[in-house]
Amino acid sequence: MLKILTCKINLYSVNLFDSLNKKSLELEMKEYDAIVIGAGNAGLTAATTLQRGGAKTLLLEKHNIPGGCATSFVRGEFEFEVALHQLSGLGTEKQPFIMRQIFKDLGVMDKVEFVQESELYRMVVNDGVNDFDVTLPACWDGIKKTLSEFAPEEKDSITQFMALCEKVCVENFMYLPKARKQADEELLKNMAGKFVEYGLKSAKEVLDEFFENEKLKTILAAYWCYLGLPPSQMAFSDLAIMLFSYGVFKPWHIKGGSQALSSALLESFLEAGGEVRFNCAVEKILTKQNNEKPEVQGVRTEHGDMIRSDQIISNASSVLTYSELLDTPSMPTDIQQDFKSREIGTSAFCLYLGLDCSPADLGITNASTFLSSTTDEELMHDTMSTMNAPVATMLTCYNVDDPSFAPNGKTQVSLLCLQYGKLWEDVPIEKYAETKYAFAEYLLAQAELTFPGIKASIEEVEVATPLTMMRYLNTPQGAIYGFQQNPEDSSLYRKRSKSVNGLHLAGSWNGMGGFQPTYMIGGSTARNVLKQIHANKKNASAENNKTNNATQEVSHV
Amino acid sequence: MSKPITHKDKEILNIVSGYQEGVQRMQTREKTGTNKSEFSGKVTEEVAKLHPKRLKLRVEKIIQETDSTKTFRLVAIGQILPPFQAGQYINLFTQVEGVETARPYAISSCPTHRDYYDLTVKIVKNGFVTGYLLSGDVEVGQEYMATSPMGSFYHNPLFHGNDLVFLAGGSGGAPARSMISNVLNRGLNINYHLIYCNSFENDIIFADEFNALAEKYSNFAITQIISRPNNGYKGLTGHLNKDLINQIIGDTAGKTFYVCGPTPFNEHCESELRQLDVEGKHIRIECNGPPKKPSALPTWPKLANESDEVTVTIKGRGQFKAKVGEPLLNSLERNGYYVENACRSGECSLCRVKVLHGDVFSSPDARLRKSDKTFGWVHSCVAFPMTDIEILY
Repeated sequence: MLKILTCKINLYSVNLFDSLNKKSLELEMKEYDAIVIGAGNAGLTAATTLQRGGAKTLLLEKHNIPGGCATSFVRGEFEFEVALHQLSGLGTEKQPFIMRQIFKDLGVMDKVEFVQESELYRMVVNDGVNDFDVTLPACWDGIKKTLSEFAPEEKDSITQFMALCEKVCVENFMYLPKARKQADEELLKNMAGKFVEYGLKSAKEVLDEFFENEKLKTILAAYWCYLGLPPSQMAFSDLAIMLFSYGVFKPWHIKGGSQALSSALLESFLEAGGEVRFNCAVEKILTKQNNEKPEVQGVRTEHGDMIRSDQIISNASSVLTYSELLDTPSMPTDIQQDFKSREIGTSAFCLYLGLDCSPADLGITNASTFLSSTTDEELMHDTMSTMNAPVATMLTCYNVDDPSFAPNGKTQVSLLCLQYGKLWEDVPIEKYAETKYAFAEYLLAQAELTFPGIKASIEEVEVATPLTMMRYLNTPQGAIYGFQQNPEDSSLYRKRSKSVNGLHLAGSWNGMGGFQPTYMIGGSTARNVLKQIHANKKNASAENNKTNNATQEVSHV
Repeated sequence: MSKPITHKDKEILNIVSGYQEGVQRMQTREKTGTNKSEFSGKVTEEVAKLHPKRLKLRVEKIIQETDSTKTFRLVAIGQILPPFQAGQYINLFTQVEGVETARPYAISSCPTHRDYYDLTVKIVKNGFVTGYLLSGDVEVGQEYMATSPMGSFYHNPLFHGNDLVFLAGGSGGAPARSMISNVLNRGLNINYHLIYCNSFENDIIFADEFNALAEKYSNFAITQIISRPNNGYKGLTGHLNKDLINQIIGDTAGKTFYVCGPTPFNEHCESELRQLDVEGKHIRIECNGPPKKPSALPTWPKLANESDEVTVTIKGRGQFKAKVGEPLLNSLERNGYYVENACRSGECSLCRVKVLHGDVFSSPDARLRKSDKTFGWVHSCVAFPMTDIEILY
């Protein structure tokens, strides 16, 4: 009420008083330079980047804690890591990679501690015919050596394949963006030749070209799980980038779990003067029409508060943002068209296990293990659309490389399989609990084959289904990586929508899913918004000066 | 049909092997794919079936169970009650003496009854909310808000096994009734033994019901122990101890124990069970509110007096005086500051606040995350201000 009153007075008195009042009028009308919806990875890096870049920022989060996926929960003596399996992009101190600089710029490098994992992954296949068990070290040459010992007849191909991964990866980061920016086909051809030849072929096509040994292909394709689509449907460049970045720049954990990094980002945001509200879901993004185009005005929260800002970054899924939050009568047409060629990606079924024995007691010797009963990724993927026992699961043990992740002599494990969430919407609610436990038994049975005794060691367990993911991530069908991560989901095929002035999306729904990509897209989105905010401020103050000068001239007359 | 993006009218990616196939896949999908508007409201709707943020409830029936205990039968207004796992609680929001507050109560009815939840409330000595609930001020037809069912005190078939023992003290009979009737009503292959400890013979909640069930079902047995018997009482008397547990249920191997009662009862049972070599994972204890006398906790700072007064400042919103011995959540509520909450026992973390300045004592019940300690977050329901403090939430 007071605010409205002040505005009115200002409106009437604008000609009577000096420019000071005009400034205060502006201040009253615009409460924040930017509002960020959702404190997931991208929301946190966006908000922190904005606030540290001088924009007055409000971060709104539906839940009571920052992080989204990057969170933890406590049961008994255990604090369970929810989602981070291997953090990529950090590099070592001697050989730093991009995330180290990004975290430094976000002011969190001195607030968190990273723990390096010594192995890339172990892969165990029990198909009853060609069982095998291989562990790849987190070392590029070591991977080459291990694979060559595993399949000596493929030694040369392995060397060539890994050289290709490296080449495609470097070209993808160095020359592809440059060539695209300059629309220079020659540059692309000359400097990114391997990307041109292989980058957008399917991973399967490239693996088939290089190798005969089916087991070897399965081992090399293991990271498809981090994208959710089998090698036949994912771009080779995505597989190459994962192999190269984890192999060379190492997989990492965070001490205290990904929650520690989420909380550190929030801390940095608050230190810079940012404001946050938890338990505060956004219900509507408010717009007004400006030259037949919607323009962001602010948001309305679940508590009915209206908060003004003309820049909004949404870390909510793009589907939720456009189909539900945006107050326009219909979704922007370009978005509708874009959504038609997208499909909702996979969710996951996950067991968080606190075990009353050491990892060694169970034969767990490394952090990440892929367990499967087949080498056929198509079958693994097809099974994700069923309630059948999964044929591929993944076990991550957090306290092999970091003993502080579990109480002394105990073990923290997450055991999961990817699964499409739609299935769970069809489970009658009164059958939900028993269905959940019955499905959990499948995963335990598969883990038991390689780690006998795991079930008998359970001290705490929490089961998360795709509906749990839906509840905490607020994504359609509980998707964890956003839309299907096929090649055409990437920014190579899509451009950012400018159909709503001041609305920006940041998260796995308009780029790659996973930790590094979402941290990065939050930052890059925020930097673009900062440019606009600063440009608008500059324009506004130039405008102001003009009017001031004019007013002064008038008053002098 | 949308075109692939072009830069300066020419898409250089066309020379990349596989790029055009991607464009074709997009175009094919555009013909049949939806614009995803079908998801509008869908996530909220799906989640609300299992975990609505709030339930609007009406008192349908009030049953006087004993002199000190009433059962409130609550039905939902305008929504379907979500299913729950027997043993879980809801947090009931209420206003007492002008203070907006809430208390968690275990659901005592069986999850197979989908049209109501029973909350069985036993009076707590000097209890702020139980005093109101049992005073007669609550009538049929009254409406309350509550959280959906929560908590991790329930039978987990993945590791609890089929041989279960419930050690209940007083109001612990409420979740016990839900858990036991769930097993019996569903015909689950589980053996259940309830050891039910009460002070007085005439103050046993659900006594007749439990006895009738034990008559009817071979997989359920009940043993009652009265600590302050009348002359002539013929059953077991005294306090539960390890010898008695041994005598009642025999070997403890392979059994899972649920413990729910007043805090001293829970602590005593845990220690006795430990002495019988029951592993921690087989002892499941229901959380039970903030410590009644925090200064009695071994970790309580030596110089702190419960009755001392400090100033609590909520950044940018105001300040008030609070007692050192009162949980921060309670003093916030009394001064009109609403903080989301549910378990009020340090477990669920919904009431977390950040301490910007000053010292706060967290009871050992606070299930804090490691990074909470680094960045100063506490669970206000079991946090006590030791000095003047400034908080943010």
